[in-house]
Amino acid sequence: MDESATRLLQRIVRRIPTRTLKTTLEKWDRLSAAQRLSLDFTEPKWTLLQKLVSFCEENEFTMKHITELEMIHVIENPDQGMWYTLQLLDPEDDAQSVELMMFREQFKSHLHELISNVSVKIKRHTDESVWIRIAWGDGFSRINHLKPTYVVHQLQSPYVFVSSVSSKRKPLLLQALTLSTRHQAIKDANLSGRKLTAIRDLVMRQYQQVFPSKYPSCLSENDKALANLHIEKEQAEASANRCQLAGEAFGGEKLPELQSAVYKLETKFRDPTNETMMEREEPFRCVVKFTSTNLLESLKHCASTGIASTPVTPLLSSIPSKGRNYFVITDNAPGAASQTRQTQN
Amino acid sequence: MERTEESLTSRTPLHSVVGQRRSKNRSYHQSYRSCLGVASRLGLTPAVTARRLNTNRKASKPHNIAEKVNPEYLALLVKTEWQLSYVTPLYQFRHTQLKSYARQLSAFIVAERQQGLAVEVGTLQNSFKVSLSVVEGMSEADDDPETVLIQIHSKSLFPRQDEPQKLVWSGWLTCINGSPEYLNSLPKDFTCLPLFCYKGAENLSSLVKSWFQRIFDCCFGPLEINHTSLQWLVALWTNCHTEATIKHLKMLWTVPSTPPLQVTYTVEAQDAWELWSSVRRASRGRGDEAGWIDMGEVTSFMQAIKSHFYRHFKLDLSAGALTQVSTALGSAKFSGRIKISSSRCVSTTLNLLTECALLKMPI
Repeated sequence: MDESATRLLQRIVRRIPTRTLKTTLEKWDRLSAAQRLSLDFTEPKWTLLQKLVSFCEENEFTMKHITELEMIHVIENPDQGMWYTLQLLDPEDDAQSVELMMFREQFKSHLHELISNVSVKIKRHTDESVWIRIAWGDGFSRINHLKPTYVVHQLQSPYVFVSSVSSKRKPLLLQALTLSTRHQAIKDANLSGRKLTAIRDLVMRQYQQVFPSKYPSCLSENDKALANLHIEKEQAEASANRCQLAGEAFGGEKLPELQSAVYKLETKFRDPTNETMMEREEPFRCVVKFTSTNLLESLKHCASTGIASTPVTPLLSSIPSKGRNYFVITDNAPGAASQTRQTQN
Repeated sequence: MERTEESLTSRTPLHSVVGQRRSKNRSYHQSYRSCLGVASRLGLTPAVTARRLNTNRKASKPHNIAEKVNPEYLALLVKTEWQLSYVTPLYQFRHTQLKSYARQLSAFIVAERQQGLAVEVGTLQNSFKVSLSVVEGMSEADDDPETVLIQIHSKSLFPRQDEPQKLVWSGWLTCINGSPEYLNSLPKDFTCLPLFCYKGAENLSSLVKSWFQRIFDCCFGPLEINHTSLQWLVALWTNCHTEATIKHLKMLWTVPSTPPLQVTYTVEAQDAWELWSSVRRASRGRGDEAGWIDMGEVTSFMQAIKSHFYRHFKLDLSAGALTQVSTALGSAKFSGRIKISSSRCVSTTLNLLTECALLKMPI
C-alpha cells in the first residue's frame, strides 16, 4: 500500500469516532473474519489505526479500497461539512429517461474529456440518490485524494448537492453534470447548510406540510403553561390563528434542520417621519443573518408566539416555500413602493 | 479633630468632613449616586434619577490617544478582548510605589501557589514576574488618576540564553473622565480607578483581585455592558465615522424562541452614518448645543434601525436582547467584554465604560 493510501487511511480513521468505526468497517466488508475479530474497539484509536494499517498491507489494498471506505462513511454520515445546492434547468427531451448506468458512463466520460487527471467513483445509495466522489489532480501532478469533492444527485429530480469544490474545478464539474443529465444549464439554488438531509428534505418538500384549514386545531405548548382561564379564553382564538398561520408558513412537526439564512437587503429606507432618508436615492444596504440550531423551528415559534407578526412575511416563508436560504432583496421598479421582490444572485 | 458621623440614608452633605482617622470606615465620602441626587436638587442637571447613566454625552473631540500614549503600551491595549470589572476606590494607593507593589504581588502569587491553591499542571516549572507601570496620556480630565497597567510574565526556572518571557496575564485600571464631583468628594487617601480590564488565566485573575482587595481594601465585581450602554456605543461609534471609518455596524440580537434565534444585523458604514446624521439633524431643531448627543437621539437611531428590519421581516427585535455590537473601532458584548480595535476614538468608549463602572459600584 503506497504512502498516499496510508495517509488517507490515517486521516479517515482519525476522523471517524470509534463507535461508528465498527459499523463502517462492517459495511466495507473487506477485512477477513479473523482480522475483524482481532480488532478491539475499546483500545485507543492509535492502536486501532496501527492494526488497520497492517491489515491493509497484508491484504494488499490500494487507494481504490481506501476511498471506498471513506465513501461509505460519508454516505452514512452526510450531515458534516457544508453542502451547496444546484438546480438543473432546461431539460432536453430525453432527460426523463436517464437512468443510472447511462448517467454513470456519461458523467465519467464527460469529466475525463474535460480534465484527464481525475479519479471518479460513483455509487448508488438505497434511496434513488447517486453519490459521486471526485478526487482532482492538476495537469501533471498526482491526484489529491485528501480533498475530494462529493456530489449527490437525486435521479429524476433537478437537484444536485455538492460539498467542497474549488472555484477552479467547479465549471468543469457543472459542465459534466449538465451534459450527463441531459439538461442545458445549471444554476446555484441559493440553499446551503451543514446537514445534507435537512437541505434535501427542504428542497424536495419532504416534510410535513400544513394546509389552510377552516378549523385551526394546532395546540401550542404554551397553552399548558397558562393558568389563568380568563387569559386563555381571550387569547385562545388569536393564539390558535397564529399557530395555524405559523404552521402553514413553515410546516408541521419535525422541520428540516436548517442552521442559517442570509438576506442581503438593498431596499430604500422608508420611514415617513424621516424626510432626509426618504429623499435618498441610494438603497439602505445591510445584511441580515438568522442563525439557530433549528432555524425553521425558531421562526415558527416566533410566529406562533407573536414575536413575528402573522401572516408570516413572504421573506421568511420563502425559505421553505422556495427552498432557499440566501436572498438578495431589492425594490421593485418605481411605482409599487411597498412590495419587494426577490432576485437571484 | 472633628468627626462627623453620617449614615448614607439620612442626609448627604455637600462636603464631607474628614478628620484624622485610622479606620477605613466607608461612610464618610458620598456615594456616587448621592452626588447626582444633590446636583439635581440644586437644579444643576435636568431631572435625572440618580441611578441612570448620563442622558447627555459630549461627542468625542478628536482626541487622538495615539499621539499621547507610548506606542508600546497602546499596542498592548488594542486588538485584545478584555473582560470588565468595576473596582471601588483604592485606599492609600500610590502611583510612586508601583515597584514595591509589583514585588509584593509577586510574593503573594508565589505564596498562594505554595499553599496548593491555583496550581496548574505545566506551570510548576515557571516563575512569575509581575510588573506594574503607569500608562501616561490616557486620561483627558485633570482629575483622572493615571492609568495603571499590570503585567505578569512567566519564565521557566532555568531559562535558556534568549528564551523570551511570555506574557500570561495582563490587566489595567483606569478612569477616563470620571465624574469630577465624585472624584473630588473622595477623601484624600482614596484613588478612584473604577474600570478594571483584564485578560488571562482565571486563577491569576482571582489572585490579583484578592491581593488588591487585601492591600487596598477595595472590592471587585463583574461589570456587564447593559442594553442602554450598548445602544450608546452603537451611536457613539457611528458618530466617529467621519474621523475613523467604522467599516460596518454589526449588531447581534438574541430572540427568545425555542430554540433561540440569533439575528446578526450588519449595516454598511456609510448608510449607518447617513441615517445617524439625519436623526441628529432632526433633533437639532430642539436647540441642543452642538457636540452633545442626547439619549433621545440614540433611541431614535436604534428605533429607525429596528423599524427598517420590521418592515421587511415583521419581526420585532425589541422582543429580543441586544447582546453584541461591533464596528471597526471595537466590539462590546453584553457579558462584559470589550475589544478596542483601533487607537482612534478610544476615549469615547472608555469614558462610557468608566461611567458604567462608577454606577455599578456599591458605594
